[in-house]
Amino acid sequence: MGLDRRGFVKIVVGGVAGTLFTPVIWQSLDDVSIWSQNWPWIPRLNKGEVKAKAALSKLCPAGCAVKVKTVGGLPFAVVGNTANPMSKGGVCPVCAAGAQLMYSPARVKSPLKKVGEGKFEAIKWEDAEALLVEKLTALKGQNGKIAAINGDETGSAGEVISGLLAGLGNSGYYMMPGEKFVAEKGVKLMGGSGQPGFDIAGADLVLMIGADALDSWGTTVANQKAFAATRPTGAAATAKFVYAGPVLNHSAAVSDKFLPVPPQATAAFALGLANLLINAGAVSSASDFAEYKALAAKYTVEEVEKATGLKAESMKALVDLIKAAKSPVVIAGASFGQGAGALDFVAGASLNVLLGRVGSGMTLLPAAPKAVAGATSSDKDAASFLAEVATGKAAPGALIVYEANPAYALPQADDMAKTLGNIAFKVSFSTYMDETAALCDLILPAPHPYERFDDALNPYGVAKPTYLAGKPVVKKPVQDCKDPVDVLLGAASKLGLSLGFDTYADVIQAKAKALGADFDALAAGGIWTGEAKGGSLNLGASALAKVAVAKTDDKTLAVAPVSNQANGSATLATPPANLLTVRETELSGKDLIVQMNAATAKKAGVAEGNKVKLSAGKGELKARVHLNEGVAPGTVAVLLGFGRSAWDEFTKGKGDNVYKILTVSDEAGTGLKVWAGSTVTVAKV
Amino acid sequence: MAHGATKEFKVTWGMVIDLDKCTGCGACMTACQVENNIAPMVDASNKMRTLSWMLVFELSNKKSGAEAEVAYLPRPCMQCGNPACVPVCPVIATEKNEEGGIVSQVYPRCIGCRYCMAACPYHARYFNWEDPIFPKGMEKALSPSTSARPRGVVEKCNFCHTRFMQAKDKARQDGGNPEGLADGAYMPACAEICPTGAISFGDVKNKEHKVFDLAQGKDAFRLLEKLGLNPQVYYVSKREWVRKLGDNYAATGKPGAAKKHS
Amino acid sequence: MDQKLQELWGEVMEEKKQCKGCGGALPFLIGFVAAVIAGWVLFPNLLYSKKVQPVRFSHKVHQEQGMECASCHVFRDDGSYAGLPNNDKCMECHADVVGSDPAEKIYVEQYAQKGKEVPWLIYQNQPDNVFFSHKAHESFECKECHLEVGKMDTPPVYYENRLSGYSKQTMKMWQCERCHAENGVSNACHVCHK
Repeated sequence: MGLDRRGFVKIVVGGVAGTLFTPVIWQSLDDVSIWSQNWPWIPRLNKGEVKAKAALSKLCPAGCAVKVKTVGGLPFAVVGNTANPMSKGGVCPVCAAGAQLMYSPARVKSPLKKVGEGKFEAIKWEDAEALLVEKLTALKGQNGKIAAINGDETGSAGEVISGLLAGLGNSGYYMMPGEKFVAEKGVKLMGGSGQPGFDIAGADLVLMIGADALDSWGTTVANQKAFAATRPTGAAATAKFVYAGPVLNHSAAVSDKFLPVPPQATAAFALGLANLLINAGAVSSASDFAEYKALAAKYTVEEVEKATGLKAESMKALVDLIKAAKSPVVIAGASFGQGAGALDFVAGASLNVLLGRVGSGMTLLPAAPKAVAGATSSDKDAASFLAEVATGKAAPGALIVYEANPAYALPQADDMAKTLGNIAFKVSFSTYMDETAALCDLILPAPHPYERFDDALNPYGVAKPTYLAGKPVVKKPVQDCKDPVDVLLGAASKLGLSLGFDTYADVIQAKAKALGADFDALAAGGIWTGEAKGGSLNLGASALAKVAVAKTDDKTLAVAPVSNQANGSATLATPPANLLTVRETELSGKDLIVQMNAATAKKAGVAEGNKVKLSAGKGELKARVHLNEGVAPGTVAVLLGFGRSAWDEFTKGKGDNVYKILTVSDEAGTGLKVWAGSTVTVAKV
Repeated sequence: MAHGATKEFKVTWGMVIDLDKCTGCGACMTACQVENNIAPMVDASNKMRTLSWMLVFELSNKKSGAEAEVAYLPRPCMQCGNPACVPVCPVIATEKNEEGGIVSQVYPRCIGCRYCMAACPYHARYFNWEDPIFPKGMEKALSPSTSARPRGVVEKCNFCHTRFMQAKDKARQDGGNPEGLADGAYMPACAEICPTGAISFGDVKNKEHKVFDLAQGKDAFRLLEKLGLNPQVYYVSKREWVRKLGDNYAATGKPGAAKKHS
Repeated sequence: MDQKLQELWGEVMEEKKQCKGCGGALPFLIGFVAAVIAGWVLFPNLLYSKKVQPVRFSHKVHQEQGMECASCHVFRDDGSYAGLPNNDKCMECHADVVGSDPAEKIYVEQYAQKGKEVPWLIYQNQPDNVFFSHKAHESFECKECHLEVGKMDTPPVYYENRLSGYSKQTMKMWQCERCHAENGVSNACHVCHK
């Protein structure tokens, strides 16, 4: 039987008809539609058991006691640890982004050796460690030839680094500038010793002078929790908060009162307030009260108005608030956590003495026991050290950088980076490819906080001695990294030095033991606290006599660097999960937006949206202008944390770095380098 | 209200946000982004393209010097009792039908027409202009709570709905009542992480939940109440200028009158 | 006009006569039947690829030891369902080879002792946008939704849909909805979707 065209058509028609009675079409359509819901490039969720493990998240400067949530062992989110009295279940915005940061594209993936300008070659750990030992061996025993910069104020790693340097016959151990360093100097000027603490939780009036205590000063989350406890929603507040500083920042936003005070007039404001308090009957038994009273008398209401622009009524209202308070506390600091002089601190702290609040509102912490026998403390900060290197006063042959980013976060940043670059051998222990690592000859990747042991002793601001410690959340780091302290301890033993420990975990356990704390309880999310020591302070009158109110002229504006914790820190560019928190009034495309009030803008000859150039010293910063009435007169507010030249596609080249236009000056009588009162010229471009 | 009526549920999940406690730190936005798998954007300053289920607005009293004040206003989805977005959806990709009153959004069903975005007066809805591409490796840090959404669909806050489901499972496991969760058993990520506790969350109809009283406090208000959408998110501020910006007074220009408006 | 029509009709009749051999409706039927067979028999074979489990796990053997489903398939403390057990669970008994079954030897040597989890094929994985609570469905018998594997000595073949990528047994939305409707449970989107 032959098949002709007609028969063929019949078969086809039959086939089509038959197909309609099978699942072929319907099933295929259904499956294709399901397939279209699962494009291969759309990521899939991870499966498995969800757990929450306690961790010490040292991503923010103070460190948050958190719980890291994992699914099938992979960290994916960070929540507060309600059992920890420091954080009481709160988390700062940076630590909230911690899990995603483990996979940051900016992470250093393996040890890197510099092979040319901006070019690195991945090398093996054993080669990297051998190179480190070789360089240190060559310079061993020559004081001044090996230096170290430490950016971690609270960790025991500092003991190992300084102990190692001391063992190598070197004393060049420097801390990155921070408030703790300055405050300890200030306490000395007031006849005391130790790290000061502030009891926000126990205060019924908190006066923050410069210090952005509810966003980026001290133990932020603990401060926020203390603040929150006084403000039950729907009921009356039990404490007043006042912020006096250059910008209506996050602390000021929730304070009962905001007093705009330009950054260079902080001490004048505090002394003017002292004058009014003394006039209102405040007396102190401090030995230098008479001297202090005479000094404060110079800061009349008129003088204060001239320096700050604050009207007499505002000052008087504040005095009334203070007088009505039973337990006031004054916190003084730079609005961005560094660069303020010791005198600014003393001026603010003297109010606590005047109000009789030393020992209660403001405390002094006793010296903590050391874990590493040879550890020393730093008497100079990294900015002063690099200034000496620049002028040839210091000539290190090797520099160890630990958790610090001096090439980005020191005043006149470009100069600092250049100076740093001229040191013969630089090694950076860093988790991320930051500006400093990018300049170094050897980069040794450090683990992310959830991949390592670490600890935090007395984060600045705590009222009582406080110790936290943490252990890794994950079994294996995401990248090929090693704990920096383990590497340094290994190097020490190859150099014939014994610091008494093999690993950082051992150091931390010894530290916990020395404090009388239980490491396992700490690693499970606990906390150790001790008691503040007694002791009194004087009013620091002789030091305060040297306070000079910097004069601003019509051509320059004071710079108020503003720190928003969500934007990251010196050692951390804005985390990918925090990019959304940057406002359209802060960054636009690649343009940083600086803020000033309308009157200041008029004086400077600029208007909303104008492109401007701010310059000071050798540094320049390009930005756009946004008018904000919450900025003190004669001041330009510039956000910190932008203008990255390394890191990742999310942060590199976005905005500009305010450190470039901060200028260093010597503080009268204290020998400190300060930059909180920097001024700039503003030009429209 | 002339159009539509509020659907009643036994349980009404609601948020009470104390604007006098919000420092604007942004932890809620970060926690939200992490919980809901929102991929980081290279240019996050382009607010026309970003996805911020939770967005903290900055409000100003427009005064200067020592009179200047700002307040921060976190804005999740209001989960309106009478949502404007639901009736306009041509494909029923969004609805308000589940006990608890959370307005749902089903991404595979959404056709991306964006009518709902136009309808929402709170700008709480976002359109995916890009596929959710994470930096290499970061997909390992995806939260199991929310599916990744492809380009071309609309998404929004759902009060971390998966946490609601998990809280019910936990209640069942512990022999409790999944339909009557205890205060605090179910907390969205933003409320859980907020370091000042500015965000309270619970069943606004349940006297045992603290939001019950908070939502009825004298300083409590809702955004654009005059529209009659009956949002399930309440705000609290002792500052009158802040409450005024919430448009409480828009109907009559006088404080206190507007609440009776609808 | 009429003439022309007539001629045309004649041609058609002519053709019909010639086509007598190719038998009326038969080709249609052949096509129909072939398509039906292809659609019901060949198509599923083509649509699904067959996979076998990496280890021939015998539920039967384990049941004979007196084990319950819930001995291995457990709820966690948070009410979530652990699904298939992992090595921790299996190694409670199988840290070393305890029986004579070659499959056990494979498990112990290639997975347990190497600390590697078995990449079991899951017959009923739901997509990422589904939140399914086993706890809420605890009152049902496992077999009402799952393959009844309890008495099987060899795990069933895993059929993977070549188009959608899902297992053949993956429950479809209409099945969920029907059962919910029959039991008076809400079918609101968020009851299942995330």
